[in-house]
Amino acid sequence: MKEVLLKVDDVSINFGGLKALSHFNLEIRQGDLKGLIGPNGAGKTTAFNVLTGVYAPSAGNVLVCGQRVNGWMPHEINHLGLARTFQNIRLFRALSALDNVRVACRAASAHVDNRRLIQLRKQGLLGSAAAGLLEAGTNYLDWWRALLLTPGFLRNEQEIRDRAGELLGVMGLSPRATEEARHLPYGEQRRLEIARALGTRPRVLLLDEPAAGMNTREKADLMTLIGELRDQFSLGILLIEHDMKLVMGICEEITVLDHGETIAVGSPEQVRENRKVIEAYLGDSYLEAHAAVGSGGAQ
Amino acid sequence: MADLLQHLINGLATGTIYALVALGYTMVYGVLKLINFAHGDVMMVGAYLGYAAAQKLGRPAQSSFLGVLLIFLAAMAGCALLGLAIERFAYRPLRAKPRLTSLITAIGISFTLEYGFQLDFGPLPGAAPRAFPEIIKATEWFVIGDGDVVIWNWQVISLLVAVALMLTLQYLVFRTRFGKAMRAVSFDHRIAALMGIPIDRVIAITFMLGSALAAGAGILYAIKDTAIHPLMGLYVGLKAFVAAVIGGIGHVPGAVAGALLLGLVEEFVVGYTASSWRDAVAFGFLIIVLLVRPEGLFGRVSAEKV
Amino acid sequence: MDSAAVRVSSAIPTGLRGLAPFLIAIPILAALQLAVNEMPFLVYIASIVGVNIILAVSLNIVNGMTGQFSIGHAGFMAVGAYIAGKFSLQLRDVAISALPIALSDQILLVAALLIGGSCAALCGFIVGLPSLRLKGDYLAIVTLGFGEIIRVIVQNTEAFGRALGLSGIPQRASFFMVYFWVFLTIVVARRIAASTHGRSLWAIREDEVAAESMGVNTTGYKVRSFVISAFFAGVAGGLFAHFVPIINPGSFTFVKSIELVVMVVAGGLGSTTGSILAAIVLTLLPEAMRSAFIALSGGQASLAQKVDQIRMPIYGILLVLLMLLRPQGLFGNREIWDVLPRWFARRRKGT
Repeated sequence: MKEVLLKVDDVSINFGGLKALSHFNLEIRQGDLKGLIGPNGAGKTTAFNVLTGVYAPSAGNVLVCGQRVNGWMPHEINHLGLARTFQNIRLFRALSALDNVRVACRAASAHVDNRRLIQLRKQGLLGSAAAGLLEAGTNYLDWWRALLLTPGFLRNEQEIRDRAGELLGVMGLSPRATEEARHLPYGEQRRLEIARALGTRPRVLLLDEPAAGMNTREKADLMTLIGELRDQFSLGILLIEHDMKLVMGICEEITVLDHGETIAVGSPEQVRENRKVIEAYLGDSYLEAHAAVGSGGAQ
Repeated sequence: MADLLQHLINGLATGTIYALVALGYTMVYGVLKLINFAHGDVMMVGAYLGYAAAQKLGRPAQSSFLGVLLIFLAAMAGCALLGLAIERFAYRPLRAKPRLTSLITAIGISFTLEYGFQLDFGPLPGAAPRAFPEIIKATEWFVIGDGDVVIWNWQVISLLVAVALMLTLQYLVFRTRFGKAMRAVSFDHRIAALMGIPIDRVIAITFMLGSALAAGAGILYAIKDTAIHPLMGLYVGLKAFVAAVIGGIGHVPGAVAGALLLGLVEEFVVGYTASSWRDAVAFGFLIIVLLVRPEGLFGRVSAEKV
Repeated sequence: MDSAAVRVSSAIPTGLRGLAPFLIAIPILAALQLAVNEMPFLVYIASIVGVNIILAVSLNIVNGMTGQFSIGHAGFMAVGAYIAGKFSLQLRDVAISALPIALSDQILLVAALLIGGSCAALCGFIVGLPSLRLKGDYLAIVTLGFGEIIRVIVQNTEAFGRALGLSGIPQRASFFMVYFWVFLTIVVARRIAASTHGRSLWAIREDEVAAESMGVNTTGYKVRSFVISAFFAGVAGGLFAHFVPIINPGSFTFVKSIELVVMVVAGGLGSTTGSILAAIVLTLLPEAMRSAFIALSGGQASLAQKVDQIRMPIYGILLVLLMLLRPQGLFGNREIWDVLPRWFARRRKGT
């Protein structure tokens, strides 16, 4: 049985009186490709925000690689192996495509030390103050090396540059490496976000509507690519998408949210037949369209 | 004990003046998310306009009830126009730009007013402080003990004027349609625009109101200090802004609470140590508040949509 | 954006790359020092310009590259000036016996500068750590407040000379020393900018939430940029204390902080070369204007005084116009070598 990389245990979050997410449960293992769907405002992006640490859950636990991360800073959660893309593209617009990924890779090169610190902290061998001081110390030392241009630092920079270049290549963005992110066409910006997320060496990838705004051909290509990424980088992937054909096509398990609550969990077929889901979301038009296409797409 | 009481009274008097200025800051921040660095200087302009009005009226007219009223109105109207002009020509064009740009523009206007008023050609008054005419003859209204504690008439008047203005503002913001529009704009100006609220007009009027209040504060301050000078707005403005932050920036009653608190703390610290520490109090207090409760006393922790 | 850094470094062997620029710069600075030895007025003006360059370039790291809003830079300058000045004052008659006096003086000066800079850096840490957790506007107020608190502390402390200031600090800062630190500051700023650490700072400027989600410890990075910036401001203050006859709180006011912010914005937020150019122009321009007016008015000092007075409100208006007409400043977020080729290309095409 593969290790559980992400475990969401009965998580809820309230904003004032608004229950944005209620009793949300999820497990992602390596090799999983799961989907999260629901009408607009159902709480999907909120769920991502809770998992990645942008918000702290009001109740329940989020565990990344076995470590409880409630209340952790997003960058710390990222160091454990959770990366994401954003619903509204949030690239570093004035930076080049390469630089966008380099930043993520630089953050990843700090992982090793940080993961060790976290382990020591967990084992009680290191108080959090001491851990904080050590982390700060390593960071300042890093900057010293950067200012002195030590051979070790230069090598590190070259490795980062190479790795970023590779990731751009994987996403088909190599010709755009030196272009500013804001000048990239929309579809490529979305792919760049994924490349950037991959730069942080994640074990779980959360993709928030990665195909939004793309045409049919681009979407199909992207979906194939996502499957390949999962295998190439040994990831577990959770996907938010609105395009039903896409989600049904590649996800093994789908969770459906509506008004913060989970109304269905299951395989694409199960979800498709589920009465509540149909009522809340899919509607008759989908059933008609699906009936017309036949059984293509279901796996 | 007498000392304590005296400090209390002085603190409240100063605090209400800070409150009038702080209200302008908090309202403008509420609708524009902008720290209007020039606000304190608008207060200074108000004081000078009051001075000019008093000169025009001459004695004894300037001390009559009607005269004082006219002085206040002249200053407040003048500053309302000034605020309108500043918003229209300096802030509105930059509304879509990053906030740093507007912040720097605000600093530029502050500089222009402060140093422009220090020039002494033409109508510009020059750097030297001027004695503000005694439009309210200072008399001791309440004396406790043998002069241990003195409450001056201008302190009481200042308190009453300030409270009257604040209550008017409170009514405006919470009980009129315009006030509702203001609050809507401060929540989300794009949605407010989509709802049909004329945000340009709302913002312009907010500026005018804030500037008018600052003018009132300027005259009260001039009465208290008995002198005016071009840099008088700088420190009062900063402290008023600190007060607004302490109360929770964007929160109208919070600004008043913060200002009164600041006035009291300042008065007590100065009373028991030395007056040379006065200016540091406000900032020291601010830093403590920001460390302990950054959203301010009444502020809401606002979450950014991700 | 860091195209130059990549091009230049590849020709030099890895071990020497850190030191290389200095091996070239030091002889040049020494030569310049000899050239200006007999021109004290020129040295003085050049030193003022140099100090402002250090201040602007260091402020650019925080306001430009990291996109924060610090408006109390003069406070860090003050800390450096007073601490370094006091140090030198106390050790005025001390010398390292094994070395010639001139060398001993310079070593003591460097020690003073490092101590002053480190104290300023510590202040940067203490101020930065709590406030950089907060939203941008708050940092502005806190840094402003910090500058004011320093001013008030100095004014109330006998050891720092209160309002009258500190005099008698040995005037040891030579042209060479000032411009050595100018060069060092610029090298540090450029190296930060070109490295992935600098990219991370830019990322924080562009989108802090996204940066944080991509594993960048945003608070840590912001504090680090703040501390480095404060260090160099402190060194600038220390240098200042060692070539002006007296330092008092009036040299480190809020106005000074704003002048520095104007330099950084006018040069282009994030552009090191922009900050340098703006510092030079904005330091020399008022002097030039005043001299021009004195010359034009036939030596009438009162007119010159009027010019000086009018400088400040004009400054304010210029600031507003700058924001309205060209908010990105001179070079935007690029360096001069990125921008010039494009200007010339456009000229040639006749666009």
